[in-house]
Amino acid sequence: MTIDNPNYAYPARSSNRKGPNLDKIGWVFMRASGVVLIVLIFGHLFYNLIWTEGGIQAITFGFVAGKWADPFWMWWDVIMLWLAFIHGSNGMRTVINDYVHKEGIRKVLIGAVVVAAAVLIILGTLITFTFDPCPAGADPELLPSFCATL
Amino acid sequence: MSDAAVAEAGEVIVEEEAPKSFTVTLNIRRFDPEVDDEPRWVDYDVEMFPTERILDALHRIKWEQDSTLTFRRSCAHGICGSDAMRINGKNRLACKALVKDFDISKPIYVEAIKGLPLEKDLIVDMEPFFDSFREIQPFLQATSKPEKERHQTVEQRARFDDTTKCILCAACTTSCPVFWTDGQYFGPAAIVNAHRFIFDSRDEASQVRLDILNDREGVWRCRTTFNCTDACPRGIQVTKAIAEVKQAMISGVKL
Amino acid sequence: MAKKIKTNPNAGEIRDGIHYHQHDVVIVGAGGAGMRAAIESAPQASTAVITKLYPTRSHTGAAQGGMAAALANVEEDNNEWHTYDTVKGGDYLVDQDAAEILTREAIDAVLDLENMGLPFNRTPEGKIDQRRFGGHTRDHGKAPVRRACYAADRTGHMILQTLYQNCVKHGVNFFNEFYALDLVMTEVDGVQRVSGVVAYDLSTGDIHVFQGKSVIFATGGFGKIFKTTSNAHTLTGDGVGIIWRKGLPLEDMEFYQFHPTGLAGLGILLTEGARGEGAILRNASGERFMERYAPTIKDLAPRDIVARSMVQEVLDGRGAGPNKDYVFLDCTHLGEDVLENKLPDITEFARTYLGVDPVTEPVPVYPTAHYAMGGIPTNNDAEVLADNDTVVPGLYAAGECACVSVHGANRLGTNSLLDINVFGKRAGNNAVTYAKTAEFIDLPANPAQGVIGMLDELRASDGTENVAAIRKDLQDTMDMNAQVFRTEETLTKATEVIAGLRERYKNVAVHDRGKRFNTDLLEAVELGFLLDLAEVLVACALNRKESRGGHMRDDYPDRDDATYLKHTMAYLAGDPHSSVATDHIRLDWKPVRLGTYEPKARKY
Repeated sequence: MTIDNPNYAYPARSSNRKGPNLDKIGWVFMRASGVVLIVLIFGHLFYNLIWTEGGIQAITFGFVAGKWADPFWMWWDVIMLWLAFIHGSNGMRTVINDYVHKEGIRKVLIGAVVVAAAVLIILGTLITFTFDPCPAGADPELLPSFCATL
Repeated sequence: MSDAAVAEAGEVIVEEEAPKSFTVTLNIRRFDPEVDDEPRWVDYDVEMFPTERILDALHRIKWEQDSTLTFRRSCAHGICGSDAMRINGKNRLACKALVKDFDISKPIYVEAIKGLPLEKDLIVDMEPFFDSFREIQPFLQATSKPEKERHQTVEQRARFDDTTKCILCAACTTSCPVFWTDGQYFGPAAIVNAHRFIFDSRDEASQVRLDILNDREGVWRCRTTFNCTDACPRGIQVTKAIAEVKQAMISGVKL
Repeated sequence: MAKKIKTNPNAGEIRDGIHYHQHDVVIVGAGGAGMRAAIESAPQASTAVITKLYPTRSHTGAAQGGMAAALANVEEDNNEWHTYDTVKGGDYLVDQDAAEILTREAIDAVLDLENMGLPFNRTPEGKIDQRRFGGHTRDHGKAPVRRACYAADRTGHMILQTLYQNCVKHGVNFFNEFYALDLVMTEVDGVQRVSGVVAYDLSTGDIHVFQGKSVIFATGGFGKIFKTTSNAHTLTGDGVGIIWRKGLPLEDMEFYQFHPTGLAGLGILLTEGARGEGAILRNASGERFMERYAPTIKDLAPRDIVARSMVQEVLDGRGAGPNKDYVFLDCTHLGEDVLENKLPDITEFARTYLGVDPVTEPVPVYPTAHYAMGGIPTNNDAEVLADNDTVVPGLYAAGECACVSVHGANRLGTNSLLDINVFGKRAGNNAVTYAKTAEFIDLPANPAQGVIGMLDELRASDGTENVAAIRKDLQDTMDMNAQVFRTEETLTKATEVIAGLRERYKNVAVHDRGKRFNTDLLEAVELGFLLDLAEVLVACALNRKESRGGHMRDDYPDRDDATYLKHTMAYLAGDPHSSVATDHIRLDWKPVRLGTYEPKARKY
């Protein structure tokens, strides 16, 4: 498009952006993940605390192990873990962008947030998928009922 | 409306007693760049009538007590946008802030708007603010050369009416916590003025402005705190305008 | 926040502490006329705009109702009718060829603005909508006509914003918060030629000299000589005052317009567009009194007539309120829809400042000092005149500060937004055309000497007189003695009071001795201009022993075409600081350029 503004002399401060637009992607992600997290978190809370007989008192190693025997709950919790950490750390990134203006410190802080989130996501994922519901030598009282049949 | 109602209204006014004046204390954050290292708070007592404005109080101080008090003002009725300042922690135009709307049992705190470099007393450097405005290409860009006026339906005109009201007083931008900490953020006023052209059916450069604002210092910094909407002396739905610009970026469509 | 490094691209070349700039065209003032001129000149030549306010603060933005042009978008109309209305509205003191130019070029002026982006209200067909306004009639006074193009009641705001936006587009070089304080003239071959402008940078206190081939004054009015005024605090007539002190004449200074509907006691403008939409003026008993004064077009009579009628009602004891000192503007029958959509700003003003809701209650109003018909005399090309015929080469004026004269003795509503666009554009075009062939004229040896002397004197003064007190006394006496109704007695009284104030001004005190943002100093300077202009206004008013348009002499209530169908020309002839008006003001006359329309009794 050609528009006659030959003397207009105010180039935008940030016209030299390259690559994907992290801010726009981040903004959309925050809203989408926020909605999904509401479902995941409340589903999680309702299942664990209200729909399970005994409520919070009933949550034991056995209960968790029993839940994670079902791939549905395994994936539920993993998705919740990922979204919560990415959502939270992206929030931290915007807070850092707002308040930290020295480029070096900003990079270090955002790096730290990314590392922390990555480590926790990897650990959490590993645990969820490599979880052993029936460790050998444990008190059978504490284990889910299906361990007895093994 | 009937003549009777007019007469009645006249009588109502007759019944009113002449308003009494009372003493108001203004606590003003003063700064003389040629003397002070740091701003200092100074209080002044002024006799005011309830229907008078904070601008009248400032004038009374300047004209009767201390003529070195420095502030910008011009039209004195909320049209020129000169006298945006922070009054009791809230950005307002001094000429639209009526004394009766304040709790005068306590001092009224008046200071310069935040986030722009303080020059003297209530005056800040407005250039960074206008720079943001100028960068969003705030002028109609249309290639067609009509013989007469470009046509626009009543609905198309109404689409951007709200954002045409902006007087560039900076009350919104300097109430924004994101702007306070990051002076590079374009700020609400620039986005409002971009909105005014993005949603003008005659304009052809919407995408250019959307690209300018689709950036780290652009609309995505907005945290929807609504400070700007609260501060706007013209009643512009600033936060809504910003949201509409975001929406246009996501959907690529003018709504 | 990151530390801001002050780099000023507009510093100019500094010699002896004074900044020197060179631009082909130097425009003083960034209101409607100044920016309209800049839009013409900036793309073609190096242009500087010196403005004491940020451009968007200019008082053009306070204009509300509309801008007249016979577009005939909603009903039959033509510019000949518009010319007739303008001439008759101005009580035949209008230069008729100038009025023809104004109304003919009105149509392009409106279309220019639309094409620049101005968001006019629209008709259902998508064209620019038009509304009725005072004094604008169809077929030579038969009935009100819809001629005013408008954007709600924010037409001036939209014009100011649109012009500023287009100045940004063209990269116009603004010098914001620079107070022009003197016009520099150089003697060439025994003739005084314009060579530049001296300005004071408010932010630093530095003096800047702008050398220019052509200079445009677009500095606006001087309503602050009055107490009750719709004008901004900054409208102190600096530009008109500079011209006066240079010994150049001022024209028709006695003609000052009082807008009928100012908010009572405050003077804040409520647009005539309200009456254009159907609002009615009523006195205390609810009577629609304009039916008595202007039977045909009633509330839409020209402003001078309506303002006078309102004052007459109050003088006759039919005013409303505890002191019976105002009348009502009744908008209640218009309905919330019209008020909120077509008159939103004035609705808000009434609510905010008087606590009156126009939807349900009539609004107290009273005339408010609004517009100077007179000012710097120019010809139809916006060139400033040194006497009745001689132009000052390279010097132009446009807008309220100028007197073309298209407004004569009384301006019609919506013709001022038109004036700034038509004659602002003409000034810009002519100034740039002149600059293309002209050479820079050398500045005199110390071009800023006078300004520096004045400022140093004020800043170092150990005076005892308070600026605000003198100004208040001036405004009080002008409201009391030189307002809607004037007599020999009141004007003589005003002359005496002003003489006393001018004497006091010599002993004025400035307490802020600083360099940066010294508004105390500038208020003292502005007061000097106000005193000069008030003195001239009153002298001209005393001299015109007739009643015409905005100038109503109670002791000479009739128009006297045989003696006074001519413009007043006031010259400074003597000591500019003298407090006795008669020893330095010389009054002369200039013929009115009549045309098609013979002066007739003015009935509406």
